[in-house]
Amino acid sequence: MEPPKIWREKRGKYLAMGVECSDCMIKQFPFTEKCSACGSENVKEYKLATTGKVLHFSTVTQTTDEMMGSTPYLIAIIELDDGIKVTGQIVDCNLNEAKEGMDVRMVFRVLARNGSEGLIRYGYKFAPI
Amino acid sequence: MNKVGIVSFGSYIPRYRIKIEEIAKVWDEDPIEIKAQSQINSKSVPGPDEDVATMAVESARNAISRWKGKEKDLGAIYVGSESHPYVVKPTATIVAAALDVEKSLTAADLEFACKAGTAGMQMCFGLVKSKMISLGLAIGADSSQGRPRDPLEYTVGAGSAAFLIGSENIIAELEGTYSVTTDMPDFWRREGAVYPSHGVRFTGQPAYFKHTIDSSKGLMEELGTKTSDYQHVIFHQPNAKFPQAVARMLGFSKEQVELGLICKQMGNAYSASSILGFANVLNHANPGDQILLTSYGSGAGSDSFSFTITEAIDNIRPYKYDTQYYLNQCEYIEYGKYVRFKGILR
Ligand SMILES: [Zn+2]
Repeated sequence: MEPPKIWREKRGKYLAMGVECSDCMIKQFPFTEKCSACGSENVKEYKLATTGKVLHFSTVTQTTDEMMGSTPYLIAIIELDDGIKVTGQIVDCNLNEAKEGMDVRMVFRVLARNGSEGLIRYGYKFAPI
Repeated sequence: MNKVGIVSFGSYIPRYRIKIEEIAKVWDEDPIEIKAQSQINSKSVPGPDEDVATMAVESARNAISRWKGKEKDLGAIYVGSESHPYVVKPTATIVAAALDVEKSLTAADLEFACKAGTAGMQMCFGLVKSKMISLGLAIGADSSQGRPRDPLEYTVGAGSAAFLIGSENIIAELEGTYSVTTDMPDFWRREGAVYPSHGVRFTGQPAYFKHTIDSSKGLMEELGTKTSDYQHVIFHQPNAKFPQAVARMLGFSKEQVELGLICKQMGNAYSASSILGFANVLNHANPGDQILLTSYGSGAGSDSFSFTITEAIDNIRPYKYDTQYYLNQCEYIEYGKYVRFKGILR
């Protein structure tokens, strides 16, 4: 991933910053310049809830080269306490410990390392509460 | 004189632990003898997606979320570590972004072996006291390296502690700070080297003990305090024996040192070692208690601090994710997984 893209996505990945439309009030994630529901450009940042529940999860065994070192790992769809659904990795949880309905909270982790000399990407993942 | 002190604090210790027995098994060494030497039972190990930046952020978020002030007031962030993820590109800027406090603030990464965290605290105390900033954040975090089969492999852990330093709603008021600094060849890691080297027995008497004692005594002399004034005292914890021995030499009791002695369960978290012990004390201390904290960093130096706990401490306690939460939440791993998590396999 190129530095400009990492930099642009920083607030979304580090802070789980989404967007709220000031016209139709819909909240979305990730951030967009334009409301996907009504097309309004009258949008502002909205910080997602930091706790939620696991709706579905699965174990990833095949993925991109930079993430292969981390496999197998858990990926889940989380329904946050504000109703917004996001996808994220579950950490501090063994593969056989994950459950649907499990309460989780956002934690700050390494998302990927570009080899031993490239940039390290950080962002949110989820840990059991 | 305007008051200065700690206004909030946070801890972080990774979930994984490896027992001394598990490491000793690999090298055919006697775990009973090794445990008798260090009095450490297990050490903390970061997960494969954890490093000093992630641990620093978690501890800082804990400091902020238990506290009622505005993090936007932060005027300085210092992160002390000897295992920053980058040699060039600061950890402190990652912390600033992860706390959403970019951008009108100063920040830097510090290194002074195991005392870079307390060096950052002193810098924040100075900036707040001189009114150059109203709120500072000092963090000590490390993901310690220990060469396989080196005695350090048994004891070096990982963790982070963060302190918000300000002049309003102080929970631990600073009475004074004192440091000693000398050039000492006891422990080092060269640029590009993966593991530190050390002077084995040389690390004890002229290094750890001399600096810790001189700094603690220097502060007490300056303040006119005596050992019996302090309810709790915390020293750097390369093992559990050294801080207990130094306490004895200075005239402190076992009870005074006990609460801050957390390395038995998690090992020596380098820059986070003494200050995680201090954080654990802050979670339990009573208003009016006096606390002495002395760090030690190889190379070498010690920073001592004397604090008095105020009534305001109960505004930020209890807090779920305190030091004890992380000490309790642990999963023991085998050596193979430890090797994988530490990235020893290349
Ligand atoms: Zn809209």
